[in-house]
Amino acid sequence: MANNDRYLSGKEVRAIAKANAREIKRLEAYKNRKAPESEFLAEMRDPSNILEIEDLHTFFYTEQGVVQAVNGVSYDVPRNAVVGVVGESGCGKSVTAMSVMRLIQGPAGQIVDGSIRFKAYDYKRDAKGNPVLKEGSQTEYEMEEKVYDIAKMPVHEIHRIRGKQVAMIFQEPMTSLNPVFTIGEQLDEVTFIHTPGATKEQARAKSEEMLRLVGIIPENVYNAFPHELSGGMRQRVMIAMALAAEPRLIIADEPTTALDVTIQAQILDLLQDIKNKIDGSILLITHDLGVIAEMADYVVVMYAGKVIEKGTVQEIFRDPRHPYTIGLQKSKPTMTLDDGTELYNIPGNVPNPINMPSYCYFKERCDKCTAKCAGDYPCMVQVSPTHFVACHLYSEEENHG
Amino acid sequence: MADEKVMENVPQYDDAVLEKEFQEKRQRQIAEDFAKPFDPDCILEVRHLRKCFPLKKTITGKVTKELVAVDDVSFKLKAGETLGIVGESGCGKTTTGRAILKLHQPTGGQIIFNGEDITHFDSKQMRPIRQQMQIIFQDPYSSLPPRSTVGGILSEPVEVHGIVPKEQVKDYVLELMDKCGLRDYYYERYPHEFSGGQRQRICIARALSVNPKLVICDEPVSALDVSIQAQIINLLKKLQREMNLAYIFISHDLSVVKFISDKIGVMYLGAMMEFGTKEDIFRNPLHPYTKALFSAVPNPDPDNKTERIKLEGDIPSPANPPKGCRFHTRCPYATEKCKHVVPEYREYEPGHFAACHMLEQDNG
Repeated sequence: MANNDRYLSGKEVRAIAKANAREIKRLEAYKNRKAPESEFLAEMRDPSNILEIEDLHTFFYTEQGVVQAVNGVSYDVPRNAVVGVVGESGCGKSVTAMSVMRLIQGPAGQIVDGSIRFKAYDYKRDAKGNPVLKEGSQTEYEMEEKVYDIAKMPVHEIHRIRGKQVAMIFQEPMTSLNPVFTIGEQLDEVTFIHTPGATKEQARAKSEEMLRLVGIIPENVYNAFPHELSGGMRQRVMIAMALAAEPRLIIADEPTTALDVTIQAQILDLLQDIKNKIDGSILLITHDLGVIAEMADYVVVMYAGKVIEKGTVQEIFRDPRHPYTIGLQKSKPTMTLDDGTELYNIPGNVPNPINMPSYCYFKERCDKCTAKCAGDYPCMVQVSPTHFVACHLYSEEENHG
Repeated sequence: MADEKVMENVPQYDDAVLEKEFQEKRQRQIAEDFAKPFDPDCILEVRHLRKCFPLKKTITGKVTKELVAVDDVSFKLKAGETLGIVGESGCGKTTTGRAILKLHQPTGGQIIFNGEDITHFDSKQMRPIRQQMQIIFQDPYSSLPPRSTVGGILSEPVEVHGIVPKEQVKDYVLELMDKCGLRDYYYERYPHEFSGGQRQRICIARALSVNPKLVICDEPVSALDVSIQAQIINLLKKLQREMNLAYIFISHDLSVVKFISDKIGVMYLGAMMEFGTKEDIFRNPLHPYTKALFSAVPNPDPDNKTERIKLEGDIPSPANPPKGCRFHTRCPYATEKCKHVVPEYREYEPGHFAACHMLEQDNG
């Protein structure tokens, strides 16, 4: 916290700017390079997963220093599962999702290290990178399942998966639709882009099918402009748009935060329903523990750019291990809670993202802090086959046992 | 033949006649209530509060279409009590809060604060009253002046209202900062140096600097993270005990409202749907909207997935509210009567009010 209050001298600012410029130049060159497909193909660690994020580092090079927004995050999304990511604002949960979509705002934001492996169902390609036609057909292409490492893909190859294989639903339905095009035009565009040779009629039929899937009567909405719809309807349109290319993974970044509680219930039911219909996975990012408990199969808890605990929803809610997870659950007033005189609260604030300490980031706010916590950052400890926690309290246990 | 008889028995509703009857009845009710003496136990009494905003005007300035943001809201609040107002966006909860403070001039109704009818006070008369009623806004980022220090922000109201002699102002402010969990060296700092939770503490300290009796908290924790939310809620509760404050706590988050309130009012499209003590509302919700609202809150317990009462569709536009009961477009139990007749806002248990035709039938 001490560094937080200090103003930087001109000399320091110039040194930071110089170091940043060097790093950014290197990373941008890597991002824009031309590379053969073989360079970004990978193997899944566990074939039942659809997405594996491993040791991901995404940094923002700012004038005050490097913000380590995502600092060594690893988690998996199994097939046909909902993985919920919780954490407070600024903990890097959205930046991780943006990294998967490769939507990090450059040049300041860069994926520095790590891998994001995604199992895609894509066109078979020849040595030049062109799709291979099916034998004896002029319009249909050969398809195959292959694993891309998204973090290593050159930026111009991203269209292979972005929007088509992985789709995203954003937090604000008000700002993520284009106000000057009708809903129909925006939905049709998805089909035009991702299905080569699609006709107007096919696109319209697909859009209407998607609108029906999300519970909208297409006749009322297809020719409407976004401002004519309410918040809940716009979010439904966003979901329809995400589904139009039949993605294998949907990333929902706070899909219900801007909505009222009754509309939120409708949208959550819809997402649950759709997951079963399209046979895909959902990565759900939210700060609301209630939403996670209702929707998710697996939970990842993040704090200050790191995963501090992950496990199945039962493990996280029934048997939370990390003091932060425990505190987070106790500090939320719930409908079933009886009237205690005081809510539990976690003292203090999230540490400054520039100049993170080398010890556990939660040390200053933790009430179970021991002498060991002043040492290195704790590594992930396995508590059960699916339950991991990064805390010294449990690494000690393991040593004794 | 049998079918025809049934058809004859269905009552026919004439909207024009009903509307006239309803207005006459309401006028009678308002006149009756206005004549009643003020309740001496209550710090705040709101009677038939109404606030309209003009939507369309003719060239001569005559209002041809208006939006009824708050329609006939009544409640009482005692010193040291918390009233929680819940509802979805656009239900008029914020407008109610602001009309009580007279930040919006009410279109109709009475606001009785501390035994005085302040509805028609002008700004000069309001000044001593304002000292006793304060507000905490939702967004702590935009509600603090960026060019004043924390000391300046907190001293100004103290000086304006002459709470303590000039030479004691600094000590008084430092004491207040300590009470609100702000360190004394923050006195010289500017708002941009603080996080959201700290800023909200500054806003709370500013509201409390003039020793108010009533504080209107307009979504004070909605913009904050869960762990910071708990700190602010605890601070508000602690200060209430110490200073015997009355709060009006406006929020869309039912679990927070349940935690902090003594009484709860549920609003929908500008009208109060149900009002009662926290126990009444949570143990025995009467109105179908209240029930649906409660069941929609996600439960942070993965094994206990309660069955939801699903509400179809969206909230109708407040500029154009449905006829009859305003909830009938989304109500799972709506009947023909609900579409035409406005249900009466009645007391079903002592202190527990609701407006629904279903209840009227059950209770005769």
